Amino acid sequence: MRRCSRTACSVSVPFLKNETMCERRKEAVTQNGSEFRYLGKGHRLVEGLEKVTGSAKYAGDLVLPGMLHARPVLSPYAHARITAIDVSAAQAMSGVVAVLTADDLPTRDRAVNSRHSAVLAKERVLFRGQPVVVVVGETEAAAQDAADQVVIEYEPLPPVVDVIRAAAPDAPVIWPNGLPKEGMDLTAAHAAVDKREQETAGAPSNIHDEAHYARGDVKRGFADADVVIERVYRTPMVHQGYLEPHASVAEPDPYRGSVTVYTSTQGQFGVRDEVARLLSLPKHRVRVVPMTIGGGFGAKYGIIDPLTAAVAVTVKRPVRLVLTRTEDFLSTTPSPAAIVELKVGARADGALTALQARVLMDNGVFPFTLGGIVSILLGGYYKCPNLQIDCYEVLTHKPQGGAYRAPGAPTATFAIESTIDDIARALGRDPLEFRLQNAAETGDPMGNNDPWPHMGLNLVLERLRDHPAWKEREAGPNEGIGIAVGGWPCGMSPAASVCRVDTDGTVRVHVGSVDISGVNSSLVLVAAEILSVPPEQVELIQGDTRSGPFAGPSGGSQTTYSVAGAVANAARAVREKLFQVAADHFEASAADLELRDGIVSVKGFPDKAAPIGELAAIAEGRAGGPGPIVAEGGAAVSENAPGFVAHLAKVHVDPDTGQVTLKQYVAVQDVGFALNPTMVIGQIHGGSVQGIGWGMYEAMVYDEYGQLLTASFMDYNLPAFDQVPDIEAVLVENRSPHGPFGARGIGEPPITAGAAAIANAVRAATGVRVTEIPIRAEMLWRAMREAQA
Amino acid sequence: MATITVTVNGKSHTSDVEPRTLLVHYLREQLNLTGTHIGCDTSQCGACVVMVNGASVKSCTMLAVQADGAEVTTIEGLARDGQLHPLQEGFWECHGLQCGYCTPGMIMAAYDLLQHNPAPTDDEVRHGLEGNLCRCTGYHNIVRAVQYAAAKMRGEQVTV
Repeated sequence: MRRCSRTACSVSVPFLKNETMCERRKEAVTQNGSEFRYLGKGHRLVEGLEKVTGSAKYAGDLVLPGMLHARPVLSPYAHARITAIDVSAAQAMSGVVAVLTADDLPTRDRAVNSRHSAVLAKERVLFRGQPVVVVVGETEAAAQDAADQVVIEYEPLPPVVDVIRAAAPDAPVIWPNGLPKEGMDLTAAHAAVDKREQETAGAPSNIHDEAHYARGDVKRGFADADVVIERVYRTPMVHQGYLEPHASVAEPDPYRGSVTVYTSTQGQFGVRDEVARLLSLPKHRVRVVPMTIGGGFGAKYGIIDPLTAAVAVTVKRPVRLVLTRTEDFLSTTPSPAAIVELKVGARADGALTALQARVLMDNGVFPFTLGGIVSILLGGYYKCPNLQIDCYEVLTHKPQGGAYRAPGAPTATFAIESTIDDIARALGRDPLEFRLQNAAETGDPMGNNDPWPHMGLNLVLERLRDHPAWKEREAGPNEGIGIAVGGWPCGMSPAASVCRVDTDGTVRVHVGSVDISGVNSSLVLVAAEILSVPPEQVELIQGDTRSGPFAGPSGGSQTTYSVAGAVANAARAVREKLFQVAADHFEASAADLELRDGIVSVKGFPDKAAPIGELAAIAEGRAGGPGPIVAEGGAAVSENAPGFVAHLAKVHVDPDTGQVTLKQYVAVQDVGFALNPTMVIGQIHGGSVQGIGWGMYEAMVYDEYGQLLTASFMDYNLPAFDQVPDIEAVLVENRSPHGPFGARGIGEPPITAGAAAIANAVRAATGVRVTEIPIRAEMLWRAMREAQA
Repeated sequence: MATITVTVNGKSHTSDVEPRTLLVHYLREQLNLTGTHIGCDTSQCGACVVMVNGASVKSCTMLAVQADGAEVTTIEGLARDGQLHPLQEGFWECHGLQCGYCTPGMIMAAYDLLQHNPAPTDDEVRHGLEGNLCRCTGYHNIVRAVQYAAAKMRGEQVTV
């Protein structure tokens, strides 16, 4: 199935800048003094064949014997009391197996306090798109026909939609008796960042959480400043926009009382736990099988799986639920909107003196806390002795917020990088040199005063400074060039792996992590390197919750960082066993053995050599030996490896229309060590364009009734092919001290800086400072007219 | 129910379909050709693009009954005799895919593009595929993948 590694190894070369490639080669001469054979060289996607031939199986492709189809009925109101549900007409239609409400499901007694637990609405609906009824039919069409016949009577109630009004002391309180206690914390699942928020005590309020961070004395800091810039920034609710809508198939085993869920998820163990909790089943009775995932970006942590599982258990047949795009927009967990009031002061010599911020997060109807991450980054990119950040998490009648690639970072970065750009301008300083002067370094405090682990913000700035796009920058009429930095603390999680060698030499590596965009294609290189076999000889087996060794969820840029070490340790343990068998077989000391090209030999005795497959066969047949060639490895990394970027955007702004055209984009990133540069560069391309989406195109817009006005790709502008330029990825390899082979988390950093870089480019082109994204033509045109007046 | 006869990937199928059945649902649910994907409800994303009588069509915009008598090619029919089509090879070699969900539709749309324009510029590739959305790749490597295939189909030496 997999072909020649030589071709694959050379794949990424033409797409790399020469200097990058040279540096990687230099860097690759390393540990043990020899160049890696496979690590650090581009290798194509291991499951590419399945994906280009249409044979990869996504959850919605699955067909099980006797499988039924579920269609949900969603709330048309943002806030209403359910007064009656009449399912009789739907029930009577042909092809309908069941029409179910909250009371019909085994989840009926669970508290509704999160999107996961809002399996079906009880008594009240709390956001437009909340599932209320589910229809189960022999076909999807039959189920949908019947869903259209379900009659639900509502008494509409006034919704609290605007976040500023919701946060006001006299606002109607969404949860006057407090939120029912139960559930899991999505933020904790997503990033290994300590949160310092405290439960809000006192009178009922829509502010469900607050966080306050301070150092020094901001009053004195501002008094010492020669320049102070104070502004209010707004970032919208943005959808993750994965191309595959949420999909899930549940198969019950009524005799064992268990259920298997085949799903599109980033974190199978978390989904398992939540399905088990909500269905009141012991964990061992729930098996979650992660299918090929059609994009997740932070959204796919089990939103519909409790419903699919509950329905399947109730009707005692396999059930498939695939959301439509509109249902997906309405009922999943987009990235929260935010308002950031930011005041920053600096002295004439360029040193920052004070930073003060008030952050308002619009989290929807159930708690979701991103303010901590926003604050860490807002107050963490630059050295600043005096700081105060107050962060308020606010509830509104909208869908609960969720993680989206580097959650909180585009918001924080847009705010701080816009302001820093203008302070540099006000002081007459080069914006890049000004950033370098103030850039945080390892050990400097983040916004929450914890020290930054080993990081390289200054390195990416220096690389951009030397890049022709900056060094030789030239802007034509109505053009502007902007830069911005961005960063992400990166997550980590203990993980395990099992490695074994078959008698034909095939190396199998078992993991319990989910590959959301290429990690498996790096993990095979790790095993190939250690066992000195071509990557094609390594099979990566992604286990489910029953068969897979534990790994954390694939979020927070933690997967390769966390799992690669486990794979390396398992492969090393396998190598030990191979040496044990070979030493015995050749009557040699293990210290005299070497492993090269998949062959273990006694140094200096070329006839005393055996391929690893042959050694596996010997081990499988020998009584009293070490047993078959199987070993496990674990890793529990002890420190995060933050990833920083410096991005450059060049724009053209049409002076008559305000239309922004992105002409050039350069993305410099500290990746630690690129285990598989093809995958790393792919992540930088994709993440950068998502950042461009934040800056120029994407927003979920709600009206005053809490109705979503952008519930399809007609109205929600996902960046299209001809709306973005090529992305020039430039890798800086500043090895992390604790990551496998010096790797860092790389998935999230590329999304962080785009909006800010584009806003700064627009400022350079027009003289207008935009404080709200996405930057739309009309908004910019009005601002340009105002500036002229 | 209506009876239709459609040739899909060279094989003739006679099927009973509801008149309202979309071509994409017919391909996926009745013929089990699940390589053609559904990413939206509004014909924006292009994940469902197939060839119908030699032209690319978003198969969510067409009823199965409209395909009666037609020749349809899906992603499953692109490789011949175990050999990947140059576009399939190009997407894999140039890393023009990540999650892979948009890939079949993207490849079929590119197939149509290269039929009409065997030597497109990068801008022409971007313009020609603007009806297909991808969330993972940022499009950069898809341009490279299509150019790889175009060169190979023109009989040029392909170096990656």
